[in-house]
Amino acid sequence: MTTAVLDELRELFGQELAPVLRRLGERPRGAADGPAARLGEEDAGTRDAVWATLAELGAFGPHREAERVAIAELMGAALYQSPYADTVTAAALLAATGDPAYGPLLDEAARGAAAVALAVREDGLSGPARPGPLTVHREADGYAVSGRRPFTAFAADCGHLAVVGAGSDGEPVLALVPRERPGVRLTRRDDIGRGDLYAVELDRAAVSGAVHPVGALWPAVLAAARVRQAAALAGAARAAVELAAERLRSRQAFGQPLARQQAPAHRLAALAAEAATAAAFARSVAAAADRGEDVRATAAQVLYLAGDLARRAAAESVHLHGAHGMTEACDAQLFLRRAAVDSQWLGTGTELLREAAALLSDTPNPR
Amino acid sequence: MTGRHPGGLTPAEEEFRGRVRALLAEDRVRALADEIAAYPPGTEATHLPVHRWLGERGWLAPNWPQEYGGAGLGAAEAAIVTEEMTLAGIPDDVHVLSIDIVGRFLLEVGTEEQKKRHLPALAAGEEIATVLFTEPDAGSDLSALRTTARRDGDGWRLYGRKIYNMKSQYGEVALCAARTTESPVAMHGITLFLLPLRSPGVHVEPVPTLCNDRFNLVVIDGVRLTEADVLGEVDNGWALMNDLLQLERTGVDFHAKARRLLDLVTERAAATGRLADPAYALPLAALDARLRAGHAMAWQQVRNLGAGSPDPVGSAMAKWYVTEQIRPVLDLALEVCGLEAALTAWDGAAPDGGVLEAGLRMGPSHRLASGTSEVMLTLIATNALGLL
Repeated sequence: MTTAVLDELRELFGQELAPVLRRLGERPRGAADGPAARLGEEDAGTRDAVWATLAELGAFGPHREAERVAIAELMGAALYQSPYADTVTAAALLAATGDPAYGPLLDEAARGAAAVALAVREDGLSGPARPGPLTVHREADGYAVSGRRPFTAFAADCGHLAVVGAGSDGEPVLALVPRERPGVRLTRRDDIGRGDLYAVELDRAAVSGAVHPVGALWPAVLAAARVRQAAALAGAARAAVELAAERLRSRQAFGQPLARQQAPAHRLAALAAEAATAAAFARSVAAAADRGEDVRATAAQVLYLAGDLARRAAAESVHLHGAHGMTEACDAQLFLRRAAVDSQWLGTGTELLREAAALLSDTPNPR
Repeated sequence: MTGRHPGGLTPAEEEFRGRVRALLAEDRVRALADEIAAYPPGTEATHLPVHRWLGERGWLAPNWPQEYGGAGLGAAEAAIVTEEMTLAGIPDDVHVLSIDIVGRFLLEVGTEEQKKRHLPALAAGEEIATVLFTEPDAGSDLSALRTTARRDGDGWRLYGRKIYNMKSQYGEVALCAARTTESPVAMHGITLFLLPLRSPGVHVEPVPTLCNDRFNLVVIDGVRLTEADVLGEVDNGWALMNDLLQLERTGVDFHAKARRLLDLVTERAAATGRLADPAYALPLAALDARLRAGHAMAWQQVRNLGAGSPDPVGSAMAKWYVTEQIRPVLDLALEVCGLEAALTAWDGAAPDGGVLEAGLRMGPSHRLASGTSEVMLTLIATNALGLL
């Protein structure tokens, strides 16, 4: 990816559009299903335009992880919600199987012409490191799968579901399921992040091609996804801090701008430093992944740090906006909403630390 | 992209690290590190033979030009030496003062005569240079300094008191900030001098501290200096201090200190079986994550320096972040090791040779040294966020 393309992406997710992007996908409370659940015409148009621009800039193509985290950080700062992140992860897993049957879909995904939802969790408690159970049926004309995936993002916007699950022997398998086949049922969820979450019910849903064992592939693919997610969360933390700083600069209290007060200024400075450090760590782990190193432990660690930070930065941003921060009109609350979901999307902090602790004895110190 | 691995080292840098590490793993260095750790109270690491062994190879100041005793290498190699020395248990105070601060000032703004006079001896580990900025009433706010340089013919006579400096009892020369011109603007009129420490008129008195090494109170009583002793331009000291002190602030050195302590705690946790207990293992994994993050941030600053584009805000962030981790590392040391961590090197039975106990006493210094945490946060708030 050239510097010029990265600059264009910076502009796309920059100050001008960010306020619009942050609110893309907002729906009225309780609008899980029905007409109100659909995006407004204007939002839908904006979302399509952003997706098309990403495709035009080649953001979907094969990239080094170092480039992908740069994109993720920009998207995170703008709270941009889309099937992009899960499509990238699903495509990486599909490609890792080496099955040529996935070629056409992967080509489309690389052009931004196809989106793939990632369906891994069996419930809200279990993280993606231990995919939920998946029943694989051998049918006359191929395979079918059954199972529940109640936290699947943007399923309705995707032509395919990459379903990862524990097969009969407990080892992870991958099944690519066309969304519009019989046996696939989607129910829209209503979550704090106002994201596009779906409960997916698979009842002998037909699989496209084979069912692949991915026990040896999924940990590395998940690790790379975690690093991108960490970069996105670090970007969100930075943006939440910048939003609060803007508020402090414009708000007068006790006869002077709030920006002059050391207590809030130092708290924001500390969070800004943490955000920059988490982003640097994500870039460093991505570079290690590009060198072919095993980054499972450090990926869990950077996501643990970035998730915790994104929640704290969002809460501080709301706090420093005062009561205004609690209102729908204030964007700070959007960061708080998203952080609650995004910080644990690929594992809770405790899960991540447990994984890291188990792996650390095999991970050399950085020196 | 530069062709370098972001966050990693080039093959040449890896090879350099391997050579430095091999030297520091030699028996003579290990014996010296053990000897230093067991120094009786009041004995300090000063003109260490390991500095000379590094200096013989141009490695004590590897980023200096060869003509001044360096190896003509870059910022990465300098960071590697700093990391490896600290991880090997070699105290870094003399190195930071002589090479990273005074040497850096000399390289950047010294005259050719000053460079030739001081740099080769510093790079060889034969001489020590110290820093005399802080005064009893001027700490973080150096613009409040009162040491005065009074005109005396074609030179000056210096009068004042400098405190909380280290190694001045052993040093040959000190970088001393003094007021040459009175000005209503406190930052104006400050000049940097190279003060020969072994001069009549320089009195060094000990200030005992929490740590093994002492602070000093240096009383300067009429020492005569000339134009040849001025570093940079007269009255331009404030700008130099602001610009050049940032260059030593990557966080690499503080990270290495924190890493050495955390590794010791982890080793003790493994040896005592506590590493298998999630109550200890999870906080260890969390702190390990923070140190790895700090390392990545610190090395980003090293890369910026190497590319000739230092980032003062990034450096402040790195320094703040890394030093803020030392307190929780030490807290965890007490949790994991219990009273064992309280045993000093002089007890003889401390399982870690007393390194953790010494680390506990050194702990507060890291958030104070090289710009306090509050100074770093103010720098970030003002320059990155438009606050204050």
